[in-house]
Amino acid sequence: MTSGSWRQGMHISAVLALLGVAAFPIYWMLVTSLTSSAETFADAPRLVPDLSQLPIYNAVFSTTQIGVWLVNSAIVAAGTTVLSISLAILPAYALSRLQFRGKGLLGLGLFASQMLPEVMLVVPLYAIFVTLALLDTLMGLILVNSAFTVPVVIWILKGAIDSVPVELEEAARVDGCSRIEILLLIVAPLIAPTIAAASVIAFFHGWNEYVFALTFVSSEGLRTASVGLAGFVGELITPIETVMAVGIIYTLPAITFYLVAQRYVVAGMTSGAVKG
Amino acid sequence: MASIKLSHITKSFGSVTAIKDINLDVVDGDFLVLLGPSGCGKSTLLRMLAGLETISDGAIYLGDRRIDGLPPSERDMAFVFQSYALYPHKSVGENIGFPLLMRYFRWWFHIPILGTIAKRRVERSPEIAQSVTRTAKILGLTEMLDRLPRTLSGGQRQRVALGRAMVRQPEVFLMDEPLSNLDAKLRTTMRAEITKLHRDLKGTFVYVTHDQVEAMTMGTKIALLRDGQLQQFGTPREIYEDPANTYVAGFIGVPSMNLIRSRYSDDGFRIGPVKITLPNRLMAAARKANCPTLLGVRPNALRIGRSDEPHALQGTVVLVEQVGAESNVSVELTADATSVEQDQSSNTIIITTPGYSELELGTLISVSMDLEQAVLFSAKTGERIRA
Repeated sequence: MTSGSWRQGMHISAVLALLGVAAFPIYWMLVTSLTSSAETFADAPRLVPDLSQLPIYNAVFSTTQIGVWLVNSAIVAAGTTVLSISLAILPAYALSRLQFRGKGLLGLGLFASQMLPEVMLVVPLYAIFVTLALLDTLMGLILVNSAFTVPVVIWILKGAIDSVPVELEEAARVDGCSRIEILLLIVAPLIAPTIAAASVIAFFHGWNEYVFALTFVSSEGLRTASVGLAGFVGELITPIETVMAVGIIYTLPAITFYLVAQRYVVAGMTSGAVKG
Repeated sequence: MASIKLSHITKSFGSVTAIKDINLDVVDGDFLVLLGPSGCGKSTLLRMLAGLETISDGAIYLGDRRIDGLPPSERDMAFVFQSYALYPHKSVGENIGFPLLMRYFRWWFHIPILGTIAKRRVERSPEIAQSVTRTAKILGLTEMLDRLPRTLSGGQRQRVALGRAMVRQPEVFLMDEPLSNLDAKLRTTMRAEITKLHRDLKGTFVYVTHDQVEAMTMGTKIALLRDGQLQQFGTPREIYEDPANTYVAGFIGVPSMNLIRSRYSDDGFRIGPVKITLPNRLMAAARKANCPTLLGVRPNALRIGRSDEPHALQGTVVLVEQVGAESNVSVELTADATSVEQDQSSNTIIITTPGYSELELGTLISVSMDLEQAVLFSAKTGERIRA
């Protein structure tokens, strides 16, 4: 075996091993969801899904409110994404291109806001939500999630805007663009891959968020999937196969969103490689 | 088209003054070349004209209109960038049509879907589509209108950048070293194309370059800058034949003008011990100045003669460069006839001789001078001495 093919073999093995580590929990979740209660706690665990258990996925939709929760989660995640990107792109542009007093402090402040743990903010935010009548609304969740994602998104977008040649903006200025037109017509399309990447981050934050969703929303109909899922874990009994089936259903939309967004991220990376 | 007037233009970056009190009058239809080495402020000056930099002091007029307070888009000037600055996500046609699209752009064009439809309609309107097609035809880009800039060669990108400038039919074209990213052959072609464009459009062009060949071949006027100061402003011929100081003399011409240390005294004009007979015009100037001087002689005004010629400079051949049609012979003058080049430390002059030079290194030769075109500078200040 030549050293080249040996190295390639090692490389493939390492990738497969890592893939196995990453994918195994999902596979285990799938197998467990398709295992009968009796078998779940058997001494020899099942390694292959029992397809005769597939109707549990139908049953989950009829016996739980998972459909409503997923819609709520989707609204919160999509809202967080749209709001985060819309709010972040202007400060990101300003931090990248404009010179103003307190610019360094602002950048530092954005970082500092990330250092506060979410739980610490639950009580003050609760008070604010009461005042603004945002308790028990999805809008409230979108707002509070965006507050956490915006600083991260600003820094990601700033990095991308930094890499757009200033000459392009100057050319646009000469061609008759205002600042906002430059941002929307020239800069935004050029940083689209980064916007897609930032969207993934914002979406997943909104999709996975648990503490605020649990604290600020109490109506059954407004519950998000993360809270709903946790609701299955009882003090005395936990229907493992139902929890796992719901878990799989909960994971699928997120993976789909990631796969769609990821295509743009990769396409952008290759098209940006050649300077236009 | 319009004339441009720069009046006492100054630009400071903090405590550094990049442009110092520049006054220029560019006549309607001129092709002005801003020439100078890197960091001389020529690009800054161009950017101030375009409105991409503010001015610290002074005023800029386009015709009778003062424009230094206006944003770039209201100056009716098009700018061609060194890096082309084509929008990578727009096709060639969209790049060329973009300035026209912006004339009709409304805020609601930003609304998704609705805005896209509106933009498409504007881009396909007869007025814009015809302008783009016409411009593309002039520049030979008709076949490439749907391609993205990254699929084009350097020369083609350059043409797209020119097209984006032309389509607006601006009063003034500003170009910042547009050919510097091209290879030598393409540069020569594009040089001719831009000159032809200027002739056809009859517009006012302001062109920045550090390449004196571009300046001499393209410009109808040249402004030579150094350290933010205007050294000389005139036609290429004036700059070449009548340089205002040793800097201009040394910058223009390849090889550059020889500057030979000399002095006028009561018994005549001498280079070292050798007495030189000057034309009347130069003699009068030398007499008037009565100080150490630098005699400026172009390499092609020097002739190689026999070593025993009287009243000729003596020297040794130290380098022979064959350029093809001619040869550049570097001659180190004998110690007594000290000469100087731009840096005033060398003792070598350059002679251009036609054809292939057979001279061997180390040969002792004499150098005779045709002084009809020679000029005289003060050795102290470097300024031109005139009669």
